[in-house]
Amino acid sequence: MTVVSKVKQTLSTLKGSEATLRLYSLQERDKEARAIYTEAFKEISKIKINLEKRVGSIEFQEPQYKGN
Amino acid sequence: MNSWLIILFNSVILFFLTFFLTRFMKKRNLSKFTPFDFISYVIIALIVALISLGIIPNIYFGLTALAVWGLIPIILDYSSMKSKWIYNIINGKERVLVKNGKVMEDNLAKERITGQEFLQELRSQKSFNLADVEFAVMETTGDINVSLKADKKPVTSYDLGIKVAPKTEPQAVILDGNILNEGLTNIGLSKGWLSTELENKGVALENVFIGQVDSSGDLYLDLFDDLVQIPKSQNKEMLYASIQKSQADLMSFALETENEEAKSMYLKDAENLEKVIKKLEPYLLR
Repeated sequence: MTVVSKVKQTLSTLKGSEATLRLYSLQERDKEARAIYTEAFKEISKIKINLEKRVGSIEFQEPQYKGN
Repeated sequence: MNSWLIILFNSVILFFLTFFLTRFMKKRNLSKFTPFDFISYVIIALIVALISLGIIPNIYFGLTALAVWGLIPIILDYSSMKSKWIYNIINGKERVLVKNGKVMEDNLAKERITGQEFLQELRSQKSFNLADVEFAVMETTGDINVSLKADKKPVTSYDLGIKVAPKTEPQAVILDGNILNEGLTNIGLSKGWLSTELENKGVALENVFIGQVDSSGDLYLDLFDDLVQIPKSQNKEMLYASIQKSQADLMSFALETENEEAKSMYLKDAENLEKVIKKLEPYLLR
């Protein structure tokens, strides 16, 4: 497995986690728990953006792996 | 008039009169009666019985006595709310029986409790060992309440330094195969949500005896047919595991890459994610 495909896999796992947390933050009735979920999905979405940038730069440097 | 008609008439009137009188008296658990409460209730009951059977020849004498015994407790209740002094006179004061782990024999004698009775009361409070008792007090109702020594108290999550997620009360949304609209609206969910949840679990609505939604929106079902196994929802554990996996991935990317900039980004993200995991742990795993 190439580096870029591994990073992409992690990226998709993170996206899934972010979406689930977002759902929980909407479903949860307790204010404190809701705040924790919201904070967590915001943090994860920041990491997700960093990873997306990294994927872009890897693909720019090694265009032969693009699309994998 | 026939005397039995008089008795019937008086009894019906007195029935409703006592009914309203006891409504206005303080609500008490029968076992929490102070001796004085007990006496006033018994006397009211006696007067009512005597009047309604016509044993008291002049009904107005009976009603006067009933009014005194009914109204004075009510007046005293209100005045004891205003004044601590009156409260202490009516209810007495609680008495400390064990202080700093030492039994106060004088106070036991004042309440006329023998050592054996005292031990029996402690046992009924689940403290078999006198050495575990830090503080015990006899309430004005005669109950003995016990506070255990700090190291003998049951452990709470606070003692262990573990954070636990707050839980609000669960709501019943299905009873006897019927959807309870009130429960659903209380937690801000819709019938559509409920039917998708049921579909995901593969259960028909008619087969559900009780369905309850907890504060985090998880649906728990009890079915009429106990042979059907419902998959326990492990969404939260799965989410926790997948975030942990992402964190491990970020760490390994940081080790693999030779680009310094990317390495520091991976490390920083891994660290941030670690913090997120720590915060989420009590909510997702417990």
